[in-house]
Amino acid sequence: MKRSLIITINLLIMGFILFIITSYANTKADESYENGIIGFEKMTMTTNRIIANYLEDEQHLCDIWANYINLSAKDGVPMTAEDAVSFIRKAKTTQEIDGHLIFPDSPDRSGVSTAAKVSDPDDYTVSYKNIDIFDNIESVSSSGDTVNLTRAYTNPMNGVQSIAFYDHVSVLDPGSGQLEDGLLMRVVPLSSLEQKLVFLKGEYENVEISIVDREGNYVVHGKSFKNSNFFEYYKSYNEASAEEYELATDEIAGGTGTMTIKNSKGDDCILSYMPLETMTTWVLLAYIPLTDLVASRSIDWLLLGIATLGFLLLLIFNSIVMMTYNRKLSEAAQQANQANEAKSDFLSAMSHDIRTPMNAILGLNEMVLRDSRDDNIRMYSESIRTAGNTLLGIINDILDFSRIEAGKMEIINADYSFVSLLNDLVNMVQKKAEEKGLVFTLDIDRDIPGTLNGDEMRIKQIILNILSNAVKYTDSGSITLSVHAHDLRDKPDSVMLRISVADTGIGIKPEDLDKLFVAFERIDEKTNRNIEGTGLGMTIVQRFLGMMGSHLEVESEYGRGSVFSFDLEQKVVNRDPIGDYEEAFRQLSSQRKNYHEKFTAPDAGVLVVDDNPVNLTVFVNLLRKTRLKIDTAESGDECIAHFRDRHYDVIFLDHMMPDKDGIETLKEMKSITDTPNKETPVICLTANAISGMRKMYTDAGFDDYLTKPIDPEQLEMMLLQYLPKDKVIPASGEEDTEDNALPSFLSDLKELDVDAGLAYCGDAEDYLMALEMYMESADKKSEEIERYRAEGDIKNTTVMVHALKSASRSIGALELGEFAARLEKAGDGGDKETLDRELGELISRYRQLARALEPLRGLTL
Amino acid sequence: MKKTLSAILSLSMTAALLLQGCGSGKKADAPFVPKYDKDTEFSLTVAGSYSNFESLEAEFERFYEYYPNASLQYVTMDDYNNVISSALVNSEPPDIFTTNSAMIGDEAYNDMFDSCEVLSDPSLDIDYSCIKESLIRTTDSGDVVMLPIFTTSYGMLVNMDIFEKEGLKVPTDYKELVSVCEKLKSAGYESPMMGTDRFSGTGMFNCFVYPMFAYDVINNSDKVDSLNALDPSAGEVMRPSLERLDEFVNSGCVDVEKCREEITDEYEAIIMRFFEGDVPMMLAAGDVVSGTAKRESKSDAFTAHPFKYRFFAAPAGDDGGYFINSISICFSVNKNSRNIDMANEFMRFLISNKELGNMASLKRLIPPIDVFSEDDLYSALADIPDDRSFSDKETGLMDPAVRQFRAAIFAVGNKEMTVDEAVASYGSIPEE
Repeated sequence: MKRSLIITINLLIMGFILFIITSYANTKADESYENGIIGFEKMTMTTNRIIANYLEDEQHLCDIWANYINLSAKDGVPMTAEDAVSFIRKAKTTQEIDGHLIFPDSPDRSGVSTAAKVSDPDDYTVSYKNIDIFDNIESVSSSGDTVNLTRAYTNPMNGVQSIAFYDHVSVLDPGSGQLEDGLLMRVVPLSSLEQKLVFLKGEYENVEISIVDREGNYVVHGKSFKNSNFFEYYKSYNEASAEEYELATDEIAGGTGTMTIKNSKGDDCILSYMPLETMTTWVLLAYIPLTDLVASRSIDWLLLGIATLGFLLLLIFNSIVMMTYNRKLSEAAQQANQANEAKSDFLSAMSHDIRTPMNAILGLNEMVLRDSRDDNIRMYSESIRTAGNTLLGIINDILDFSRIEAGKMEIINADYSFVSLLNDLVNMVQKKAEEKGLVFTLDIDRDIPGTLNGDEMRIKQIILNILSNAVKYTDSGSITLSVHAHDLRDKPDSVMLRISVADTGIGIKPEDLDKLFVAFERIDEKTNRNIEGTGLGMTIVQRFLGMMGSHLEVESEYGRGSVFSFDLEQKVVNRDPIGDYEEAFRQLSSQRKNYHEKFTAPDAGVLVVDDNPVNLTVFVNLLRKTRLKIDTAESGDECIAHFRDRHYDVIFLDHMMPDKDGIETLKEMKSITDTPNKETPVICLTANAISGMRKMYTDAGFDDYLTKPIDPEQLEMMLLQYLPKDKVIPASGEEDTEDNALPSFLSDLKELDVDAGLAYCGDAEDYLMALEMYMESADKKSEEIERYRAEGDIKNTTVMVHALKSASRSIGALELGEFAARLEKAGDGGDKETLDRELGELISRYRQLARALEPLRGLTL
Repeated sequence: MKKTLSAILSLSMTAALLLQGCGSGKKADAPFVPKYDKDTEFSLTVAGSYSNFESLEAEFERFYEYYPNASLQYVTMDDYNNVISSALVNSEPPDIFTTNSAMIGDEAYNDMFDSCEVLSDPSLDIDYSCIKESLIRTTDSGDVVMLPIFTTSYGMLVNMDIFEKEGLKVPTDYKELVSVCEKLKSAGYESPMMGTDRFSGTGMFNCFVYPMFAYDVINNSDKVDSLNALDPSAGEVMRPSLERLDEFVNSGCVDVEKCREEITDEYEAIIMRFFEGDVPMMLAAGDVVSGTAKRESKSDAFTAHPFKYRFFAAPAGDDGGYFINSISICFSVNKNSRNIDMANEFMRFLISNKELGNMASLKRLIPPIDVFSEDDLYSALADIPDDRSFSDKETGLMDPAVRQFRAAIFAVGNKEMTVDEAVASYGSIPEE
């Protein structure tokens, strides 16, 4: 996972957690805010109650004064204004409270005050002429409220902002002797009311209280409330449409509630409003900056900030730890890569080191096979070839897997003949199958296009792997290779091949199917311990198919057999159908020849360079029948000497040589201008078969390369490609006919498969020799077997049966060979009973065959 | 051209102010530097008769920037003129209070003035040099105990849209006025000029000819004492302005009867009638003009069809109008203040071109400084030549003399007296 993705996921998780915290904090803050609002409303209610109590108390005191004065009038001894004021002077206990007795109906709304004017200590006359606080007396009186209170006004006697409680009194007019109505006012400094609200400062330091009338005019003016009218103030600082303004003012004037308003600084404030309990015509307003109520929210944000910081630190810490681990992992990966490179180097070396001697072994063995007429030697040589090829197969599997693992395996598409591909496969597999007594059948769609485009080598390798496995794991029965083709609708220039290999082998347990494609995993190891293999075959097949956009399908029934199949899309180059391949193959098989050189070129010259003399011998002998003029050189310098002196048509140059390797030698050769070999193709001989070799050698200047151990057929094919055409004489067919001349009675022998024998022996001459040797040794061998059996010597009996098996197979007596193989297996397993029961029949059939071959006696001499 | 000239004149006045007044060692334009610790907690009360003083409240907010723990409050006092003296010595005295020029010389306010802090005391460091010298009032001993905050003038509100629509220029002298009024009348404006027919300074006759009368008094300074003594012989000084008033009333420029019917008070009704949008020129005092901004939204007619308006001197003279600058309101500091130092600090803050200009701009009044309000409502006053610009202090008239003149123009304007009768009756003309 990329680091940026990990960080992104971390940040997302962090963001999510912070979101949750924020949401939670906001919810809590909202709750806190709501609680704050509720608390503030409660405070307003408490204030309302306190003010109500205070006003009621003050009103009550005013009423007591008035009652006393009115009672006097009622009792017939009415007081004059002076008497009344004198009484109040005595009754009032607080200095700052004044009593005013005025006559609202008098021109100047004048009367008498308990205190003299500040400006004139002798003047107790009070006038409210210029103070309009009595405009709503009637409405207040009729409202039913228990308190009769004026708005805040300036006490005309001392200039102090005051409020006045009032009540009506009847006093005696000394002039007229009549009672007249007066208004008795208990004038209280506004500060007295404000002092009652000091308690609020404890909990709400910035709270301000105002009292307004229903028109918004201030009765008591809070300090932060601007303007002379609260509604005007609201309008000045709060953007509201006419409707909103009306709604807000109606709500404040008539209801109870809370709203958010902006103060003169543009800050949000909470305004709590409710009618005064004692004076419903007035409204109590409590105002506080919003920040005072939501202060606790900042604590949540602080916590959030700390959490964010914590997360960031955690992320940074984790990133550092992760980076440290990544660095270590990177180092480990680097080491692993280095180890892998070391492995590649090792494989390369192993490839070279094993394949080089294998070249000598298999090459020389080929010579032995070609030249020897001794049946035993040929049998031993054949075993060497089988074992060698098996070893090469194992090495090739390992190298292929190594290439795939290193991602260096390439699919190289080229045009190829599908028939040729089939031929190669059949040639390689049929012999092995028949050696095991298996029936190899073909089911080839005759409409398969003749020429396709694809990686022929890998396809061949895939099918061969499957077929080889089928042969390996099938003891009896048959192996069927099916290839069918169908067109692709949307790809007219392509064809889909359905290739399947069915066998009647041991099958695979369902639980083992998964192991099939696991590298180095061998299925049913215990049972199959005698079967050679690396456990890589199917893995490589699957990987190759994957690279070609396909996959292997397996259907298997344990003990009954398996079907391996896959689809493969190939481009069509030539749509001419291949026709009846099975028939063609049968004909081909019947005409199968043993090795015969593909051409002769007596005028062509070839130089082969290798530091190993054995390899040089192998090389020369492999081409002996082509009659090529072959010079050899054992070092780069020797090669260059030949290169300067004599013209060659092809030069084969070994890569790994002491002192001056092939590439260095080639570089020097390229720099030489004075040579008759300027145009001569140079082919690299290499035991390196690991990935990337082709590119390396072509980059180095080689025209081609040939891997060791040298495949004789591939060698001849390469020579045919590079030799001048005028120097090449194709092999004649007559010799083949001659070589193929076998006595006709051989074909009639049921015990003998002439084709298999010919294929094994190479040519008719060798085959006849092998048959004769088989015939002549039959009596002796039979007797020896019987003797060993009679002596109870199972070991030597088994060895002799083994020899009979090989000899029988080499002449094409496949069923007899298989019979011998079964008894050999019984002998190996100490199964004396089987030997006793069936050995007689084996020897009988052996002798019978030998007698049938009697006509050959002296034929080969 | 005229706009350019106005701008040049304004700039000239500003430059003159800087060079002569505030520029000569003046610090009024310098940023205010608090004298005390900014964390000082204190409360101040400013008492006045304005029921609403938003421009002062705006200054409180600005003052809080320097003293965030301060708490200032404006208190409207009922029956202000009668109670202020008592309030200053009571148990809860205001720290700052409003005064006006009419209080000077009135014995009723002796106690009040006795309670005033001497603002010219150098130790207070109150630099009032930015205020026009002609507006500074002093006590007999030469002390400055009141500093003007707003000034006013008498003139007319002009509906600029009407003039633009009719293709007319605002008249600058009496001849042009008559001509323009004739054209406006023919265009359908029944009474091209209107105003309130009241006895007060806001009355339309006062707004029209009082500046002219004041100009004549200044030019006949030898008659001032006689005028102040209400000597009937001094009545002749009134003759030119009374004759111009008589001429004006008879010219058809104003329909007095219509004014009396449609404009029923001397403040709100003037504004609201003007906002109807069909009065080309409304005679009014600056105090009335200050109420226009708030009432724009209250007028449905103006809200529906807003128009541009400006204040001009009434073109009563043959050579043009007269700009008389009268004190509207002053601030004094109560020397009995419990926070006398901070009260003086507030005054030190307030008395500057910037703050006085801000206040005047908000209040839509004329600042006492040489720079007119940024609000171009008054910018036309800058066009009036210096020889016809003066303050009412320069007339030397006492309030009784002024009231006699108002009585004279009220009588002549309403055809209750002839010019001759009014002149002859000076000193005994019935007042309101």
